Parts: sequence; structure tokens; C-alpha cells
Amino acid sequence: MRESPESLEQRIAGLRSAVRRALAGGDRTAARALRAELRAAEDSWERAVLGGGDPKPVLLPVREQVHHALSLLGVPAAPKLIVAVHDAFFSGELASSRLTSLRRDEERSFRSAPYSRPYYLCAALTADLLAPARGLLVISTWPLPTRIVGPYSPRADFLTSAIRVAEHTLRTGAGGDAVRPLLWRFAANIPGAAGDHPHDADPRRLLTAATAELEVHTGKDTEQRRQAADRARRQLGDVEQLFGARLAAAARAQNGRLP
Amino acid sequence: MTDLAARLDRLRGDAPARNHDARTIAALTTNPGCGRRGLMDAAGIDKDAVARYLGFPAPFGQSQFAIARGNAFEKQVKDDGFAELFTLLRERLGLPVPQVAIESLDEVGGNHGSELRHAQTRRALARALAGDGSTLFDHPLLRLDIAGQPAYLEPDVLAFRLGDKFYVIEIKSFAIIDGQADPEQVAAAARQSAVYVLALRRLLTQLGHPATAVSHEVILVCPENFSNQPAAAFVDVRKQLSVIERQLSRISRIDDLVAALPEEMTFELGDGLASAIRAVEARYAPDCVSSCELAFFCRDEARACGSTDLLGIAVRDDVGGVETLATALGLADGSLAPSPEQVEIAAKLRLARLLRAQALEGVA
Repeated sequence: MRESPESLEQRIAGLRSAVRRALAGGDRTAARALRAELRAAEDSWERAVLGGGDPKPVLLPVREQVHHALSLLGVPAAPKLIVAVHDAFFSGELASSRLTSLRRDEERSFRSAPYSRPYYLCAALTADLLAPARGLLVISTWPLPTRIVGPYSPRADFLTSAIRVAEHTLRTGAGGDAVRPLLWRFAANIPGAAGDHPHDADPRRLLTAATAELEVHTGKDTEQRRQAADRARRQLGDVEQLFGARLAAAARAQNGRLP
Repeated sequence: MTDLAARLDRLRGDAPARNHDARTIAALTTNPGCGRRGLMDAAGIDKDAVARYLGFPAPFGQSQFAIARGNAFEKQVKDDGFAELFTLLRERLGLPVPQVAIESLDEVGGNHGSELRHAQTRRALARALAGDGSTLFDHPLLRLDIAGQPAYLEPDVLAFRLGDKFYVIEIKSFAIIDGQADPEQVAAAARQSAVYVLALRRLLTQLGHPATAVSHEVILVCPENFSNQPAAAFVDVRKQLSVIERQLSRISRIDDLVAALPEEMTFELGDGLASAIRAVEARYAPDCVSSCELAFFCRDEARACGSTDLLGIAVRDDVGGVETLATALGLADGSLAPSPEQVEIAAKLRLARLLRAQALEGVA
């Protein structure tokens, strides 16, 4: 049970004088033990008075955290970007190492009990072969064209991510040290988005610049994605539409011919 | 040709063939005169295993740290849809903004098979040549025929299309400081890239396009100064290209080398290995140590006969006609009478000895 702050204060005072007496008497071993006790008491006092102190327990499972970050971005994203977005806008820790097995676990869960969860985290599909794209995560509830990546998609999705992050920053008024590196990461590589210095990462300018460049690519990108999605709906079963077709399976389906 | 291939197979014995990659092809060009290396590479012999068997293991391979650093830098440049690379290409080469399509060729639907990937690369480039393709091709798998054997090239490059020209982009993690990079590293990168340029040219020729569609300038992407910021530099690889082309044509004449060898000879690991290898002439140079697994064996051989090769190519050429160190020393101090063709070099050596003696006196 917890000690009250008052009794802790008394105990701390008593321990302080005990340490002083032990040192004066030359008994270093006893002094060391008493100092350890003193420090523990001081820690308990701080926790009792100031609250917190313990590392905050992670409240959400990894898949929820990833879901939040991905929902913010709205497009297929690599684990590194997911972690960066999470660190900038959400609390708790998300270690990128925990993302590696995620996709496989999700697929296994889906196969053993299909549609038993409200959403699944899956790999994006490549537009040419409808195979799982390496290192890109999506949410199963997104429309199929969004979950497919074509040749223009890496750039288009990068720009869309930039727009979503800038909008989120403006909407929530978030700022400061956590968000700035993320904004800069986008701004540095979009023409007209960057100021002279990383500290100038301005979400408004980023939004304008990214929107302008996206305008250039979006037509071709959406068209390719839409065509691939049509093909996927015709050719793939439920599981493959979420987790991608493996080449072996596709080749079998086409009588051994390569797609 | 098939005859030769069968003969090379016999030389290799039961050991599995080791395919060439850009590194080994580039290494071939550093010492074009070495018949031993040419033959063993053509036969796909695992030189490392041979050297180990002979008791001259070469401490070869890249450091773990260098590999990790290289991978991290490459990943950084390619992150976020190649964002940093596009920024660089737009700033340096004026790449138009609409050209951002990327084709990833490092697997075909989860399959890493070389032939499949090569076919995929061909298709992607053919589409690009038809005017309707991507701008960047990540990890294209290229192929070069070497002594009748297809060699797939370790694909750690990008092909890049600007207008109707293709470029090879190589991402390297050594730094360009104040516009300067370690010349040795650049030379190694240039040799490797030249192999890719050549392979890419062959592929375009097969697709019915002129070889000149592939630029002889390679784009090297390296960290700039002491930062992680990537910078691009052009490296002209025309010289390396011609060296490699000549080398490859020499390899296809490897039948001359084979013809001189006894029919039943083999390089299989076993008792006769050392003598079989000695039967093929090597041309050892100190540089070999950094590029050939057999170097320590050849060095030992050169030392045993006191060959002038030990002192490097420059010295060997300076004392042309003098085979061993003992002869050279003998001619210099006059204890050996020069043969008619050695008169000139003997005079030079004596002069050198005189100068050295005077210099040493001056010091004392």
C-alpha cells in the first residue's frame, strides 16, 4: 500500500540524519545502504506528490497505433514513415521492429477467421502483377485503387502524405520539435515547399507546393490504379484482394503462362 | 564454342560454377595480362576455395560496417518514393517534374529467379523505349555473355531515362568532400558501372536500338562532405568501357589458352591442383592482392623465383628483359656479364646503383 506524503517526509528527514551520522562515524557500508533507502523514499515522495514518474504504459496495441498513423496519411506507407508520423502526432512509443511481423500476423488471422476484425493491416498490391508490394502497409477498409501502387504511386503517395500531414498540423495546431522534422522531411524534397532552414518548415507552404505537384501526377496515377483495381476484382479471390497474389498462384491460374 | 564450354566444364570438375558479377568482371580488367585469372574465371572456378585448399586463403570481402553503411545510405536516398534522388535529379539534370514513374525490378511477384527478373527488365526497358515507360528502374537485372556463359549482374544500380538517353546510377556511401572523392573508390565504382553500362548497351542493341542510347557518363550518388545529404557527380567511363570490351573479347579467345593445356588437366580440388595451376602463366602484380583471391598464391610463387613482378608493374616494365631480382642485382654490381640484349638495361642499372651509393654517402 502507498505511504502518505507526510509520513514519507518524516522518513526522509530521519534517513538524512541517519546518513549524516553514519558518515560521521566512518561506517561507509551502512551509509551506502541508508542512502539507497533515502533515494527510494524520495522517489516514492515524488510519485505521490507530482504523480506520474512511471513510464506510461502503452495503452494501444501496435496494430491500433499503426492504424491511427495510416488513417492520418490515407495512402500506402513504409514502416519508417508510419513510425515518424506516430512519433510526431501520437503518444506512446511505436518501435519499428514491432512492425516487421505485423503483416504476416494479420494475414494469418484473416485466413483462420475471415472478416472477424473490423480492419486488417495488409501489404499494398503492385499494379502490374497484383503481388504484395514490399514494405508498404495499407488498411483493408480502404478502396481497392488506393491499396494498389503503380509506377507513379510512390511519388503521388509521397505528395499526398505531405498534404495530409500539413493539413493535420494546421487543423490541430500541433507544432514544435516533434512535428518539425516530419514537415521538413517532406518540404526538403518538394519544389517550392522549403524555406532556407529546417526551422522554416511551414505547413501552409508545404500544402500549396505539394498540391501543385500532385496536380501534375494525379491523372495518370489514378487511371493506372483504377485499371489495376478492375483487374484485381476480376482475377483475385477475397484473400488475394487483401494480401496479394503470389506469382506461383497466378501462374497456375493462367495455365502455367506468366502474366 | 560448345567444345570450349565442355572443356571449361572439365577444368572446373564437379564443383558448381560461380557466376561472374560486376565486381569480378571489373577485377578482370585491372590485370588484363593474367592468363591464370582469365582462365579460371571463364571456367567459373571458385578461386576462393582453390586458394584456401592451397593454403593461401585471402582475407577477402567487404567489411560488415561498410556494407551496413552502404545499405543505410542507399535506403535513405530511396526512401519516400525516391524523394531525395528525384530532388537531386531535378536540380542537377533538370529532370521535368512529370517524370516520376518508378519500376521496381528486384522481384517478380515475390519470385527472385534471375531469368524471370531479366525478362521483366527487358519488358520494362522495351516499354520505356517505345516512349511509354517509367523514368527510374530500380535493380534491373542485366546479363552479359562471358565465354558463352550468361553472367547475371548483381543489381545494385538504377537505370534512369531522361529524354531518349539512359543513364546508370550507382549509389555509393563514400563521401565527396569539397568536390573530391577518394580516387581509388571512384575508380572502382567507375569500373563496376562500366560493366553495367556495357550490359545495358547490349540489351538495348538486342531490342533494336543504338548502343549510344546509353550514356557513357555514369551518375554517382554519394554523401556530400560530412553530411548524409546526397550529391550527384558524373563519371565518364569511356576508358573503362573500352578496357572491359577488349577484355571480354580476349576471354572469348580463351580457347588459345585452353588449347595449350594437356587434355586431361583439371582444377578440381585434389593432389594435382597446385601443379595444374602453375601450368597456366600468371602475371602477378602487387595490386592483385586487393582484387584476386589467388593473389597470395601467385605472390608466393613470384617470391620463390625472385621475379621482378614483385616490385610492381612500373618496375617490371622499367627493367624489361630482366626476369629475376638476382639478375638485376648482378647486372648492377657488375658481377654478371650482360648478354647482348641486356647491355642497355645493365648500364641503366649500374647508373642507378651509383646514384644510390652517392645518395647514401651524402646522408652519412
